[in-house]
Amino acid sequence: MILAFFQWLESTDMMTFIRGSALTYPVIMSTHLTCIAIFGGMIVLTDLRLLGWALQDRPIADVVDGFRWWKRLGFVIMVSMGICLAGSKAVEYYPNPYFWTKLTLLALVGIHALIFRPIVYNHPEQLDSSPITPTRAKAAAAISLVLWTAVVCAGRLIGYWEPPQKQQPVAVIQVEGRTRNQ
Amino acid sequence: MLLLQLNPIADALNSSEWVFPIAECFHIAAFAWSIGMIAMVDLRLLGVGVQGSTPSQVAKSTAPWTLLGLAVVLLSGPVLFLSDPRMYLYNQSFRFKIGALIIAIIFNYTIHRKVALSDSSSAGARAVVGVVSLALWIGVVFGGLFIAFA
Repeated sequence: MILAFFQWLESTDMMTFIRGSALTYPVIMSTHLTCIAIFGGMIVLTDLRLLGWALQDRPIADVVDGFRWWKRLGFVIMVSMGICLAGSKAVEYYPNPYFWTKLTLLALVGIHALIFRPIVYNHPEQLDSSPITPTRAKAAAAISLVLWTAVVCAGRLIGYWEPPQKQQPVAVIQVEGRTRNQ
Repeated sequence: MLLLQLNPIADALNSSEWVFPIAECFHIAAFAWSIGMIAMVDLRLLGVGVQGSTPSQVAKSTAPWTLLGLAVVLLSGPVLFLSDPRMYLYNQSFRFKIGALIIAIIFNYTIHRKVALSDSSSAGARAVVGVVSLALWIGVVFGGLFIAFA
């Protein structure tokens, strides 16, 4: 069923256009990467602040609130570009283990948000009122850094995976006396 | 040129199918890290980001992390380059990228640094420096990616 959906997605006019144009595909990919750098920078700086390794003289609330909507905007652009990249080669991506690894990691990012939003990110002023940053905030930051780094690496490795070669008939050359000499 | 063709380093790098992808993962994670940190300063120069903080606070706070990221980028980059130096040297996108990179690094540690660290710099100067810095680094990213498509 997933494969059928991927086949349909790849065959749509838009995905066919992206695949067919020499310039569109790399421009989308470059935009995807630029978003990773800029909006990833926001994630990293927020995490570093939660860990107490950057902007210690600013309240956590200022950092979290300052980036909240920009991160959401970045996420939407990044995911849209990602769907274009994967969608235009969907059938090729389907058997790629790194593609599924990346999607699994992104699902974990979603679970991270479900767990830590209510207790960390949605109430940053509570973190500031505590004399030392609570462990749950540092845990959220550390897990976020690990997950996003893994997402980036899995994304890059998608490009390196090749489907197993179909078994070609193998020419067997028997060398007289070889077995005896070994 | 002959030296580049008979490159024992390239042989070592190409002997394992994992060296290049792993080096590239480091390169990409670290470029996102370092350019992301610089972009945070640029956005602050443009008035976006951590409200109430000055560009100099963001610049000082991110400086060691930017440097760490750049160090990993500049160590992993040559590994990638040495795997196939001739291809890269004749690649238009690679030349563009290296040019943009050199300008971006010099800009970052001269004008960018001066304006970001000065609390008396004018709003106009901050905006121009922020935009130029973002444009330079985005140029580096596009140039780098287009190496594979040129």
